[in-house]
Amino acid sequence: MFFYGFMQRAFQASFLISLIAPMLGLFLILRRQSLMADTLSHVSLAGVALGMLIGVNPTWTNIFVVVAIAILLEYLRMLYRTYSEISIAILMSGGMALALVLMGLNQGGATLSMNQFLFGSIVTISEQQIWMLLGLTIMIGLLYLIFRKPMYILTFDEETAFTAGLPIKTMSILFNVLTGITIAVIMPIVGALLVSAILVLPAAISMRLSKSFNGVIMIGIIIALTGMFTGLVGSYGYGTPPGATITLIFIIIFGVTTLIKKIVLQIKRSKLLNSKDL
Amino acid sequence: MHYIKVNDLAFHYEDEPVLENISFEVNSGDFVMLTGENGAAKTTLLRNILGLLKPTKGNVNLSTKNRWDEKLVVGYVPQQVASFNAGFPSTVLELVQSGRFQRGKWFQKLDKQDKEHVRRSLESVGMWDMRHKKIGELSGGQKQRISIARVFATDPDLFVLDEPTTGMDVHSREQFYKLLKHNSKDHGKGVLMVTHDHEELRRYADKHIQLVRKEGSPWRCFSMDSCKEPSKHHSSFH
Repeated sequence: MFFYGFMQRAFQASFLISLIAPMLGLFLILRRQSLMADTLSHVSLAGVALGMLIGVNPTWTNIFVVVAIAILLEYLRMLYRTYSEISIAILMSGGMALALVLMGLNQGGATLSMNQFLFGSIVTISEQQIWMLLGLTIMIGLLYLIFRKPMYILTFDEETAFTAGLPIKTMSILFNVLTGITIAVIMPIVGALLVSAILVLPAAISMRLSKSFNGVIMIGIIIALTGMFTGLVGSYGYGTPPGATITLIFIIIFGVTTLIKKIVLQIKRSKLLNSKDL
Repeated sequence: MHYIKVNDLAFHYEDEPVLENISFEVNSGDFVMLTGENGAAKTTLLRNILGLLKPTKGNVNLSTKNRWDEKLVVGYVPQQVASFNAGFPSTVLELVQSGRFQRGKWFQKLDKQDKEHVRRSLESVGMWDMRHKKIGELSGGQKQRISIARVFATDPDLFVLDEPTTGMDVHSREQFYKLLKHNSKDHGKGVLMVTHDHEELRRYADKHIQLVRKEGSPWRCFSMDSCKEPSKHHSSFH
């Protein structure tokens, strides 16, 4: 399996995605934007469909459309502060509808490619995609190292961040744009329907395991690597779609860690009760 | 030197006036307490001062410089801070250390002096022993205390505090007021605080601003009673 060029590229891509996912995922969860990633992945389908319709490389139209919508999402989030899910509902259905209409206009030939974007494909990862992913990983890693303190305050409380003099609007927009670009780059690999799960689940699992902020990122990377590699091997072995297999592995890890945590807590409690009885 | 100057401020929620004719100053070294009945728009006034809301009329001048002509650092504790996101993955120490970021440490490592500041702040609210706990595991009162430790760790030029003593026991409250008074009296810090603590108002405040309902207004609109020195013999609360 490891001698095939496409599998080598799949493992390289999985490694890079495992580094990105916990960093972005943690901020998405804490900013209550887990669903934003899902919205952007639906919208990105429209970007792909547009590229196919006008005969331009879908990666570029995808990035352009997703970034524009990411900025619009931040504007709508500010507008509907209390009911921020309204913007998600509008844009998620709008993105999907636009994608379907554009696909309808581009009759013939596009269905197979659209399937690849919907469900992802490890066979089609190109050298160019690996380089894009590497560039993105380096950029996100650097941005995290430089801006983790301002982002920590921004995610803890936006009003505290504002009074501390941080440009919260600019930071929020740039974060959305970065998330949009990441989704546009990862989407052809893992599929539009599951890209948000792969971004969010490692951080969601590690949040239950670590007390500290940096700890969540570190454990998240280990979980992401475990889930991605196991999922890829499983996908190759059973011929299942990689995105779906990886997502199921993450959900199994989530279930197992929750169960183990409960058992450990129960043991601790009973020990405490026993010591009190003595 | 004035840190806050409010000139004839009015604020409307859509078409409904909630604040009118508000004018006062908070200077370096002032300990100012803001009181009023529930729903008297005290938090709205603070949010106008901090720039989180825009006044409908009048203006707020929040100084950009402190009395040493350096950038003014504001320490804000919002109302019901104890209800912050319980799942936020952070230890008590991480959160209180984040108070130092505002002191020019956004892109630098915290040094020995910063860490000493953090230790003293946590000790001042009796939370040093709990520094490695996850913030979500704390009680409401403990969360309130670490929020206060965080603002002390910042060592701001101006404290803006919205009912910071909610959920505190008598001893912790006493300690908190003494520390705040020491900061304003001996270090020239400005303090603007919304409170319902009658006794402490009498003992510690230099100025008292009371928001009272405007007579004759068809709206639930509040204005200042006056800006006065609180009586040291009896409380001015009704």
